[in-house]
Amino acid sequence: MNLALHAEIADTANAHDLDGGRPIETDAVIVGAGPVGLFQVFELGLLEIQAHVIDSLAVPGGQCVELYPDKPIYDIPGVPVCTGQQLTDNLLAQIKPFGANFHFGQEVTQVQKQADGRFFVETSRGTRFLSKTIFVAGGVGSFQPRTLKVDGIERFADTQLFYRVKNPAAFAGKDLVVVGGGDSAIDWALNFAQSGPHQAASVILIHRRDVFRAAPASVAKMKALCDAFGMQFIVGQITGHEEQDGRLQGIKVSGTDGVTRVVPLDMLLVFFGLSPKLGPIAEWGLGLDHKQVVVDTEKFETSVPGIFAVGDINTYPGKKKLILSGFHEATLAAFGAAPYVFPDKRVQLQYTTTSSKLHKVLGVNSPVFD
Amino acid sequence: MTHVVLESCIRCKYTDCVDVCPVDCFREGPNFLTIDPDECIDCAVCIPECPVNAILPEEDVPTEQLQFIKLNAELARKWPSITKRKTPLPDADDWKDRKDKLSELIR
Repeated sequence: MNLALHAEIADTANAHDLDGGRPIETDAVIVGAGPVGLFQVFELGLLEIQAHVIDSLAVPGGQCVELYPDKPIYDIPGVPVCTGQQLTDNLLAQIKPFGANFHFGQEVTQVQKQADGRFFVETSRGTRFLSKTIFVAGGVGSFQPRTLKVDGIERFADTQLFYRVKNPAAFAGKDLVVVGGGDSAIDWALNFAQSGPHQAASVILIHRRDVFRAAPASVAKMKALCDAFGMQFIVGQITGHEEQDGRLQGIKVSGTDGVTRVVPLDMLLVFFGLSPKLGPIAEWGLGLDHKQVVVDTEKFETSVPGIFAVGDINTYPGKKKLILSGFHEATLAAFGAAPYVFPDKRVQLQYTTTSSKLHKVLGVNSPVFD
Repeated sequence: MTHVVLESCIRCKYTDCVDVCPVDCFREGPNFLTIDPDECIDCAVCIPECPVNAILPEEDVPTEQLQFIKLNAELARKWPSITKRKTPLPDADDWKDRKDKLSELIR
């Protein structure tokens, strides 16, 4: 992963989200920072249309990064092979000249057409936009944490049961149980078990088996810390919970020996990974077919003028869910959107090879031919 | 198009697929799961989740299992929705590698 690029993106994202209560006025809002959403920035950028990108994940890449970061992709034209992560990094490099603003870790909760024809868009973090156009590049939906399936335990969500760490201070000095076998589980268990400002009173890690998906170095560190009595690891599945006076007291853990033990706790942190859910996009009033957004194949515009849908989330006769199809869709959608952004301008197709205007937008030198 | 649950699922029902489905299109019978073809959006996220490789896109279903396309559609209409992963059937591991399990299907 290109860390420098990611840090830069995070900075611009933060700068904008701290922009007070006033909505951000923009030409385009792109919902989804997967490969197609990222390429949408590029195609809009060539037409000098400024975009803001929103994604529920904390990093760009969408399915490519969340579901298959290390699996090779063989059908990107001109790229014989690349991984999901490489494709994402390359797209980020490609769209860098356009300075798109990213808003990560939030999903769109509201879309409302305004009297002036623009759309009011609000996210779960309260970031608000007034945009001339919207591009839905939501893929298979927003990635949500998989929940712990124990009857009745969901009542403690956000008070004693958490699926992500928003505020580490809330866990300081507490008896903490961390569940899961991936990097998030191990990293947070280590973080709270080691001395520091947020050290917990005690940390118990629970995973269904003694094999971890997390990085081997972290697993080794965790085991060393267990040997030094800095934390504890238990193999088992959570099968129930105990509560008293409306507070979660402990969880029942069934071990491989068939014995169920009660583990007392103040706080429970569960990391079972993420799974996609289509979520609120289904409620935006767009024409749907099989929970896919219906678009035309001329502009990839939805039933609501000014809202376009590209990539895996759209459907039309002959649709194939391929990244390369999404790139094509994003291109035509950008041209389709231009009249909403520049009602008085006639937009011409230009080539990046020859157009000095595009060279200027891309920040490159125009080649000189003798 | 749709995705289809094939024979390997019978008497196993690991249900890992159910958790990742973005549109909740799985339906649950006594010892088999099916995909509702009217709900499935072909996202293919469920395919790698299945520990016994029981799910394939419609066009990749092997000839000898083509009947499962119709079977999924038919059973999906009468079985209830399942949206959360649950414990597999108790003898799932004993049945996962068996072939020709269609006669074991409880409708």
